[in-house]
Amino acid sequence: MSVAPVELTRPETAEQAAIDEPWLTIVWNDPINLMDHVTYVFQRVFGYPKSKAEKLMLDVHQKGKAVVASGAREAMERNAETLHGYGLWATVSHDK
Amino acid sequence: MTGFRRVGDGVAARFVRPEAAIIRDLVEQVVELVEPSTEADRSGPDPEADELARMVGLGPDEDAELPDDPVLARLLPDAYRDDPDAASEFRRFTESGLRSGKVTAAMTLLETLPPGGGRIKLTPDQAEAWLRSLNDVRLALGTRLGVTDDFDALDEHTEVDDPRYAYVQVYQWLAYLQGSLVAALS
Repeated sequence: MSVAPVELTRPETAEQAAIDEPWLTIVWNDPINLMDHVTYVFQRVFGYPKSKAEKLMLDVHQKGKAVVASGAREAMERNAETLHGYGLWATVSHDK
Repeated sequence: MTGFRRVGDGVAARFVRPEAAIIRDLVEQVVELVEPSTEADRSGPDPEADELARMVGLGPDEDAELPDDPVLARLLPDAYRDDPDAASEFRRFTESGLRSGKVTAAMTLLETLPPGGGRIKLTPDQAEAWLRSLNDVRLALGTRLGVTDDFDALDEHTEVDDPRYAYVQVYQWLAYLQGSLVAALS
């Protein structure tokens, strides 16, 4: 017979890993890209539902920039590269 | 001018000859701008190392800076804003691929848009190439025209005899065309 342990070491989840490596992909507002294009690209590149893609697009448009993804540095750099291919003005930065 | 509409899993549009000519001309200009420099342009001390660098997608060190031309700087932007070393490093590893991706998209557009115009039908992949290429053309044209958030002001203050007038009209038309393509793909 055994009893449940009082304390468990929490397994490291993907979410935890993202918190440990707080690199960000940021998209900046520009006057040329079409709002619908930006929404489409967020859906296409990140697989975000339309509502989330639209909200991020509006953040970019109204606030001047938006964090569109976070995680490991390499992944954020790949995002920036992909977004540059679609003509978006994307940068990578460390969340300090 | 009716723009793009969805047909099956692809898209279709009709262009008259002058429309096709304008798009092709602008796309060709972007290709000329972003096409990676040819072997003849290179003056590196070791052409073989240069060739190898190109094969693995690494540009020469002296190219790893934000281009001076504002249009090229907009098409090939820095990925780090406050870290020149990281921006340069990123550029060395990605710029060559970014350039060739833009050229490939432009070539797909040119191959699918007959110089004489007509009705064209695009597969989803071709439509995606059109989207990238039309957007690059708008970025180039918009940057040259100095488009700001207040596009209406530019439009209203550009008189018919202004050399920019025709390009402002083309810029607007391309926005309409790209908008219809995004809508057809969404």
